[in-house]
Amino acid sequence: MIHWELIERMKFLLLLLPSFVSALGAYLVRPYRAMVGWLNALLSLLSLGAALAFASHAAHGGEALVFGPGELLRADSLSALLMVCVAAASTLTLFLSPGVGTETNYMQAQLRRYQLLINLFIFSMLLAVSANSVAIMWVALEATTIFSALLITLTRSKTSVEASWKYILISSVGIALAFAGTVLGYFDFVALTGRAENALNWPVLLQNAPAMHPEVMKLAFVFLLVGYGTKAGIAPMHTWKPDAYGEAPPPLAALMSSSLFAVAIYAILRWKVVADAAIKDHYTDSLLLALGLASLAIAAFSVVLSRNYKRMLAYSSVEHTGLICFGLGLGAAGVFAALLHLVNHTTAKSLMFFLAGDIERKYGSSAIKQAPGLLKAAPWTGGLFAAGLLALAGLPPFGLFISEFALFRAGFAQHHPWLMGAALLLLLVVFVSLITHLNRMLYGDAPAEIAVGETVGWRVAPMLLGLLVLVALGLTLPAPLETLLNQIVRIVSR
Amino acid sequence: MVWLFRFAPYLIFATTVAVTMLTPLVAAPLPFDAVGDLLTVVYLMLLGTFFLALAGLDPGTAFGGMGASREMTVAAIAEPTIALAIFGLAVGAGSTNLGQIVAQTLSHPGAVINPGHLLGFAALFIVTLAETGRLPVDNPATHLELTMIHEAMALEYSGRYLALIEWAAGLKLLVFFSLLANLFLPWGVATTLTPGALAIAVIALIVKLAALGLAVALIETRIAKLRLFRVPELLGVSFVLALLSVTSSFLLR
Amino acid sequence: MNVNDMLFAQLATLGSSLVLLFGIALLWRRSLSAYVRAFRWQSLALALTFALIGYFSHNHELYIVAIILVVLKVIIIPGYLTRLYERVGGRREAQPYVNIVTSLIVAGLLVSLSYAITRPLVMVSKLPTRNGIPLAVGLILIGIFVIISRRKALSQIIGFLVLENGIALLAALGTYGIPLIVELGVFLDVLMGFLVMQILVYQIKDTFESIDVEHLSQLKH
Repeated sequence: MIHWELIERMKFLLLLLPSFVSALGAYLVRPYRAMVGWLNALLSLLSLGAALAFASHAAHGGEALVFGPGELLRADSLSALLMVCVAAASTLTLFLSPGVGTETNYMQAQLRRYQLLINLFIFSMLLAVSANSVAIMWVALEATTIFSALLITLTRSKTSVEASWKYILISSVGIALAFAGTVLGYFDFVALTGRAENALNWPVLLQNAPAMHPEVMKLAFVFLLVGYGTKAGIAPMHTWKPDAYGEAPPPLAALMSSSLFAVAIYAILRWKVVADAAIKDHYTDSLLLALGLASLAIAAFSVVLSRNYKRMLAYSSVEHTGLICFGLGLGAAGVFAALLHLVNHTTAKSLMFFLAGDIERKYGSSAIKQAPGLLKAAPWTGGLFAAGLLALAGLPPFGLFISEFALFRAGFAQHHPWLMGAALLLLLVVFVSLITHLNRMLYGDAPAEIAVGETVGWRVAPMLLGLLVLVALGLTLPAPLETLLNQIVRIVSR
Repeated sequence: MVWLFRFAPYLIFATTVAVTMLTPLVAAPLPFDAVGDLLTVVYLMLLGTFFLALAGLDPGTAFGGMGASREMTVAAIAEPTIALAIFGLAVGAGSTNLGQIVAQTLSHPGAVINPGHLLGFAALFIVTLAETGRLPVDNPATHLELTMIHEAMALEYSGRYLALIEWAAGLKLLVFFSLLANLFLPWGVATTLTPGALAIAVIALIVKLAALGLAVALIETRIAKLRLFRVPELLGVSFVLALLSVTSSFLLR
Repeated sequence: MNVNDMLFAQLATLGSSLVLLFGIALLWRRSLSAYVRAFRWQSLALALTFALIGYFSHNHELYIVAIILVVLKVIIIPGYLTRLYERVGGRREAQPYVNIVTSLIVAGLLVSLSYAITRPLVMVSKLPTRNGIPLAVGLILIGIFVIISRRKALSQIIGFLVLENGIALLAALGTYGIPLIVELGVFLDVLMGFLVMQILVYQIKDTFESIDVEHLSQLKH
């Protein structure tokens, strides 16, 4: 019996250690060898395995697992879902990293820095979703800011330095405000029951939440929503997104747009549960709906005006963030739809940034006008890019269509017809502009100096796999996923 | 307006004497406190400043006009600050009557280290330097175009008019110092009009004035005169301090 | 409230006012060395306030926090900042986006605003230190204002550090400090964040030849 329990708890180590060891390896091996990249990619499979184990444990009705001194780490269904998202995106990223099975024009020193920083980044994200204490979650999110900011400037170009500076300044302010919100949440706890060492553990906060003062929790939640919303890229705190995603190396952009954003939403959701238990009216829901609508509106108009396909993808991220916020504010069915959307979006976005990176490498520029004739120049890349963009626009048979449909159904059931109508209109605007931009890129003739032919080689396979997952999620909802989502809804709507 | 130039020094002196009578120099509360309170004091001082500026403009000389415009720049921010700084104390005392404020502080000595008090003191101190024409705002001993404000307005006066204006300036200094001393550190002020209490009050006043004079003298020797465009910044700081003093007194009652 | 509590309340409010005043002094000064000096004094005042709260609330962990504050924010970080602006050049802050008099008035208004929004907190709390909470939130708002209104990258970093000071003060006044482990994690994060920002400023200087953020405007819509 004890033997089994130990193995259960070892899963935490299996989740967190591989990325840490990879970073250590990248640091110690000088000069950089290609083997390090391969090793790190294979180690990440261990993390993925652990995450899947957590998910299956939760889906089979197991209760939350804890580990570590003072119950440092904890995994319930919500954590498990996010662990799988983050670990899957990380594995894909590490396998498609520069220098792993492909030639690259990064120098050796840059590759070493890349491997070090991206593994530390992955480690902090996994720590954030498996931490029990909201304070540790905060520390891990701050760490992600630091590592990603260093990584954006990998090539030291003017634009990447500018993007990184804006990113770190805005994100650090956001994270600091989130910390102020955390302190205010703890403040209320102290005012009630006095100091306690484990007060910042999420289950303890949730337990004491009904007794907390609503006005204090309202103020705390505003700080937290603004703070963690900055990391998630909710408008109006999204201004760093287009710059950062546009200038970061494609693997980092893929990881940031899929996983980091998911972890920030996770943080908001954790606090929302506590705040709802304390405030007892629909204050948090109204805030989320308002910010969601604002994000949708700003994203819609920005997509119309985009001239750069990477920034267009970033604005599409803001749009989907808006949709997820919407969902979180629409009660139980909305939360279900929002989290399903999160899973779908993670899959789609990570693919898109890799493809965008390949296209940029081919055409030498990320402007839409300068990348025509994609289907003729690189049919596989072009086809995958088109499929991904159609998925992001919300077309069937991709999964995003289903989750958006579920979201709108929840919205109408909650009697918000005008809100949903406005959201539909904005989605239509985004849809039309995305298709227009796509057409400009796909058809026509490539400029004469562009070499015709694929440069991706075997990398098409994992991307095709991702696309198939999206289609599968669009056609059916696998039972384990459904169980997991239902459990999460139960946690959130307590 | 021929009469203005001759009339102004009398007015300035009169208003300054009136203000002196209304401030709690040695005793509080005084019988003629009923005539005026904080706002009356501020208005009377502003009246004097206004007429001095007009008198500077009247002869039509360049120096006078320059002095008047500089003085108005300073007065525009400094006068409201006086009101605000003392208002912070008034909120605690529940009345803008200066005698009342002194009595309140005497009966609650622990309030002296209130942030409202300290901020108000700092704000009023900076305004004192500005209004009485001390460094770093104005140099009282210069007649160079670059550096004078108060002296520029009085440049065309001589004889008994000049004497009245200089006397008024001296009285203003006394008023400000005693406001600083007695509103914020009121120990020694006589609460009854008996000879013994008054004697103690006079001695206490002399001691406090000496201390303040020493402080101002030290500051004048250490700090150089600020460039003119920096003066509004300094006064802005004092305004913010006064604002903070009012806010903290008001909301922490 | 007994006499001891009243003294505690007065001293704590005094300490927080001092911290806030150094933050306002930041808005008044022009040169980068004055900014660093104001930040240094502010952190010292903050450390003394922490020690004060630790003494009166018999919570000895706060002494450790105060010592770390002094080492980190009075000695190490200002040292780095001084070296940074000496190497990167530009001793003066160029005309900020909001001029000094307006900045000061905005600061006064921000503090009044913070009094308004923290009314529920002050009413709910039973601690003697609660009167300083509006000052801490005011400092947070002033920190954000400094980041928005200054032009040199270095001034923006100092604005961020002032923001962090404000949050630390809020934690001290509202909850007598957060658990020590968390406090250590926060310090580590602040230090690392600062180091990364410093690295980025060097990179900005290398690529742009200046740390005026006006140059960082290539990435438009």
